[in-house]
Amino acid sequence: MNWLTQRKFLAVCLGTVLVSVGVGAQKTMQTNSAGSPTTRRTATANNAVTDTAPIKWLGSKSAPITMEFFSDFECPACRAMFLETLPHLIENYVNTGKLYFVDRYFPLQGHKYSRLATRYADAAARIGKFEPAARALFNRQETWASTANGNGDVDGVVASVLTPAEMAKVRELVRNEPGKLDADIDKDVQLGSGIEYRVMQTPTTLITYKGQTTPIIGYVSYPILKQYLDELLKR
Amino acid sequence: MASTVPWRLPRILLLAGRIILGLILVYAAYAKLKYPWITFAATVSAYQLLPDNAVIFVARTVPWLELVLGVWLLTGLALRWSAAAGTALLGVFFAILVHSYAKGMQIECGCFGPGGDPLTWKRLVLEVALLALGIAVTIGAFARRRAAA
Repeated sequence: MNWLTQRKFLAVCLGTVLVSVGVGAQKTMQTNSAGSPTTRRTATANNAVTDTAPIKWLGSKSAPITMEFFSDFECPACRAMFLETLPHLIENYVNTGKLYFVDRYFPLQGHKYSRLATRYADAAARIGKFEPAARALFNRQETWASTANGNGDVDGVVASVLTPAEMAKVRELVRNEPGKLDADIDKDVQLGSGIEYRVMQTPTTLITYKGQTTPIIGYVSYPILKQYLDELLKR
Repeated sequence: MASTVPWRLPRILLLAGRIILGLILVYAAYAKLKYPWITFAATVSAYQLLPDNAVIFVARTVPWLELVLGVWLLTGLALRWSAAAGTALLGVFFAILVHSYAKGMQIECGCFGPGGDPLTWKRLVLEVALLALGIAVTIGAFARRRAAA
C-alpha cells in the first residue's frame, strides 16, 4: 500500500470514527433513560417534578410531557414567551392533557426590581391570583422594569388588576412577610441551580419526556415548540 | 516557475491549522448534536433573523454540516475545498454575530451548545481569530496546490 493510499485509508477510518461520534451523540440523547444519572434530578419515571407551589402549575400531572418554565419578570424574552407562546401551549397541550406546565421563579440578580416583582407575583399566587398578576407585570413591563428604564412601580401594576381587598392582602404579605415569599422564590431558584443543566439565563424551559430532559434557552415561538412537542408525542 | 501567491505556509503550520479548525468544528457539532434540535433552534431564533421554518431547517442541518466539514478538514482530502467551505461557514457565523452585537442583543452565542458565553466583544475576538485561521488554512491549501502543480 503506497503512501497516498495509506493516507486515504486513514482518512476514511478517521472520518468514520468522527461521524460515529455525531451519531453516537444523537443516540445518547435519544435513549437516555430515567435511571441515568445524566437526566432529571427530581423526576420519577412519569416525569413528576418537585412542586414548590401547586398554584403555579397547570394541567394533569399524568401528562406525558412536563414543562418547567424558569422566568424573570424583568426579562423581555420571558415576556414574549409568556404572552405569545404560552397561551397557545396551554390551549393546545395543557388543556388537552398532553403537557403538565410548572412555572418557576428565577429572578436574576442584575435586575433591580425583579425580586420585588416576584414577591408580588407570589403574594398574588397565595390568594389564587397568580395569572392576572403575572400577566399584568409582563404586559406593562416597559413601565416598571429596570431593563426598560421603568419606574419600579410594581405595586401600581399589580393593583390595576386586583380588587382593593385582594390588593390589601397582597400588600400585607409583601410588606410584613417577605421572608415567606422569598422562601418560595428561593426554592425555585435552588431547583434551577442544582440540576444537571444549570439555569444561567431566562427564560429557560426544561421539557421532560420519558425521563429525558431537554433544555431550551431563550425565547422559542409556538410553531417551533409545537413541532418539537408533536415529534415527542409520536415517539 | 515562481509562485504568484504572496506567501506560503510551511507544511507543518498548514497541518496544525487544519487539525485545529477541524477539531473545533467537530466539537461545535457534538455540543449541538447531544441535545435535540429544538435547543439549537432556540439559539438561532434568538438572533431574530429567520422565519420559524428556516429556524427549524437551520437547527436540524447546521450541526451536521459542521460535523461533515470538520471531519473533512481532519482527513486533509481535497483540502482547498474543505478549508474554503469551512471558512465560508465561519464567515457567515461571524457576520451574524457582528450584526447581533451591533444591535446590542443580549443573547448567548450558541456556538458550542446551550449555556455558553454571552455575546460580548471577547467572543467576537475569538471568532475573528477562528476566521483568520480558516482563511490562512484556505490560502495555504491553495498555495500548496499551486506549488505542487
